[in-house]
Amino acid sequence: MADSTLPIQGALDITPPAARKHSILEIAHSWITTVDHKKLGILYTVFGIFWLLVGGAEAIAIRIQLAMPNNHFLSPQTYNQFFTMHGTTMVFLVGMTIIFGFANYLVPLMIGARDMAFPRLNAFSFWVTAFGGTLLYYSFLGGSGLYGVGSAPDVGWFAYAPLTARAFSPGHATDYWAISLIVSGIGTVGTAINIVATTVSMRCKGMTLMRMPLFVWLFFVVSALTLITITPLTAAQIMLTIDRYLGGHFFDTQAGGSAVAWMHFFWIFGHPEVYVLILPAFAIANEIIPVFSRKAIFGYPAMAAASVGIAFVSLGVWAHHMFTVGMTSVSNAFFTLSTMLVGIPTGIKIFNWLATMWGGKIRFATPMLFLTAFLFQFLIAGLTGIMLSVSPWDWQLHNSYFVIAHFHYVLVGALVFAIFGGLYYWFPKATGKMLSEKIGKWHFWLFIIGFHLTFDTMHVPGILGMPRSIYTYEPDRGWGPWNLVVSIGGIIQGIATLVFAYNMIVSLRKGEEAGPDPWDAWTLEWTTSSPPPDYNFAIDPVVGSRRPLWDLKHPEDPDWKYEA
Amino acid sequence: MSEHHSTGSHEEHVHLPAPTHWPIIMALGVALGFTGIVTNLGLTILGVVLALAGAIGWFRQVLPREHVENIETTVEDVLVTTTRTEVERIVVPSEDRAHLPIETYPILSGLKGGLAGAIAMVPPALIYGLLAQHSIWYPINLLGGAGVANWRNPSTADIASFHLSGLIVAGIIHIITSLLVGLLYGAMLPMLPKRPILLGGLVAPVLWTGLVHATMGVINPELDARIQWGWFLVSQITFGVVAGWVVAHSQKIYTKQSMPILMRLGFEGSGLHHEDHDQAGEDRK
Repeated sequence: MADSTLPIQGALDITPPAARKHSILEIAHSWITTVDHKKLGILYTVFGIFWLLVGGAEAIAIRIQLAMPNNHFLSPQTYNQFFTMHGTTMVFLVGMTIIFGFANYLVPLMIGARDMAFPRLNAFSFWVTAFGGTLLYYSFLGGSGLYGVGSAPDVGWFAYAPLTARAFSPGHATDYWAISLIVSGIGTVGTAINIVATTVSMRCKGMTLMRMPLFVWLFFVVSALTLITITPLTAAQIMLTIDRYLGGHFFDTQAGGSAVAWMHFFWIFGHPEVYVLILPAFAIANEIIPVFSRKAIFGYPAMAAASVGIAFVSLGVWAHHMFTVGMTSVSNAFFTLSTMLVGIPTGIKIFNWLATMWGGKIRFATPMLFLTAFLFQFLIAGLTGIMLSVSPWDWQLHNSYFVIAHFHYVLVGALVFAIFGGLYYWFPKATGKMLSEKIGKWHFWLFIIGFHLTFDTMHVPGILGMPRSIYTYEPDRGWGPWNLVVSIGGIIQGIATLVFAYNMIVSLRKGEEAGPDPWDAWTLEWTTSSPPPDYNFAIDPVVGSRRPLWDLKHPEDPDWKYEA
Repeated sequence: MSEHHSTGSHEEHVHLPAPTHWPIIMALGVALGFTGIVTNLGLTILGVVLALAGAIGWFRQVLPREHVENIETTVEDVLVTTTRTEVERIVVPSEDRAHLPIETYPILSGLKGGLAGAIAMVPPALIYGLLAQHSIWYPINLLGGAGVANWRNPSTADIASFHLSGLIVAGIIHIITSLLVGLLYGAMLPMLPKRPILLGGLVAPVLWTGLVHATMGVINPELDARIQWGWFLVSQITFGVVAGWVVAHSQKIYTKQSMPILMRLGFEGSGLHHEDHDQAGEDRK
């Protein structure tokens, strides 16, 4: 360490130590009233991790129920509620909130800004998301209108019509589903607007669009995509509420409405939503893979362009979720081809990450372990996606466990692995403490073993014809042994997640001091202390390349000499 | 690009937005406003009141003047360190840097090749139709039937008879696909080593015929059952050889890769021309 050193005027900001200890009430008040993007980012992330534990517990209950044929661990009704709540929680309360936590914390730091463009809107967006999530789970208490415990939504996270009509879903459970997502959607839109505005207007001197970290590029794209896609979802939920409360017939097939219209509305949101979730995983990969490979990212302009390309194409693939609905063969062919098209920009990214690693001096610290697994698993997820994009193949496997395995490969194998990698990477910046590498490696190996036991195996019962959303099955189907393995894997993943939670708690209390730049990294967030001061930068940063900290560390060989 | 210096303006104090409880109050109001729909109208009223109070409080935070916190900044000299003391870069002097391919075929040659290949494919396909089903319309309808929505389980006799819609759709599919593959030939032939026509005209069609043969059973089992793969391969090789020959015998053009972006965009002006390029252009003449 410290073979090459250089004194830099004002490269590190130090906040004066607090004059006195604050009471718990004062601390709570400071977090509740905060408009600081870093605190809000932490709030988003902690909120997301909490719901991850809740949604994970629901998944474990589902897997216990399916571990053997004719099991009665959960009743059919409860099973339906659990898979509905699991899906809704994981997509809206875990994925969206954790990625916005990362964005909130890191985007201003990475572009040399002191805060988000709209700090108060940022606080409002977080709290409205939190209240929306709370409202969803309040349905367990209030779903029957008079606190009939256990009356949560049971219509699936996609809430297909006409199942959501009052005739088939009496009581208020479905209303809670729609209304909670409308409320949290307000927060999502607020945050997306904020990230777009921050990226456009708050960059420091010298940070042109083509010098922005790819992390920021990706979140800029994600936020634009979010603004486009949340709109039809909210519109559909308002229509559903009108159907249920005001006698509307938008989705009532017996009164001239269309159940397929709901599917179009939902999936026009739902498929780009997958990219809203996976592009942040790419963002994390774009930061971690180069740093731990000791090489600059390969093909920066192509990576930025591919991100925009993926977002653009993702808006035109929604009906591949509807191949079995009965669309025309021309529609099926169009959506088959458009879905396959996503493979091109995605392939560019995969190859560029591989090219970044190629010939690098790779350090397999815990963040890099997670991101290496992400790379391999995302490739597999993409390949099964291409298989499912072929409509005749999809006809055979639609609504089977093969589809479940595919999208969990994307959302767990890629997104969750990337999130864990990102948490290990930026936790020292946010807290000043390193997460334990030893426990981290236990976490990684347990999680990857559990993941592959679960989701590799899950493809098989899918091919054997096991439909999704069934609460049990007969022993003569031949699905039992496969499901047992899947469930064991799920439990191992649950244990691994608890190991991670333990690591965070222990490291917060007794972790090794991180210092400002524990990974020898290159972007602006590492030029501040860990955790950063309220104002982020005492001196407004000025950047001359895509890797400003590299330029400071290597004045004899700065990047700006090589960047066109 | 000028050299970067880590200088910037430093203020003794910075103004940051003051903490405020109005956003959380407004968020609670919005949530309660919606919750009242499924619980009690009183909650909606309370929610609206809270949301309005939150909004007003929020406005007063920023109007007429924003509430800010005055925070003292502290700057310290620190050592920026790195463990990566050796920097390895591939040294390529600019005058020796290779921009490959130096020459390539124009886009038009790919289109011409595709069109020629498309025409050359027709005779083997029609001969197959005549020999197998005594009808030249059979292979045409096999291709066109994929895009005609109202064809349901046609018999062999149906496929062997004339259908205008089948002919139009087959023509469109055939021409578009041929043009796209021709473009691919135009782009790829310069990158292939020796004997481009052998590789592009024989090896590539064999490879993609194998790929189509392996996947057609899944993609379209009906079509798979009716394709004679031997004839299919013959027609693909015919396309490949003809398209490859047309492309390979076209006049190559300079790729302009190492020219400045303005020149590649077609701008003209003094000082834009690079002497090396001009010289290279002269040499080729």
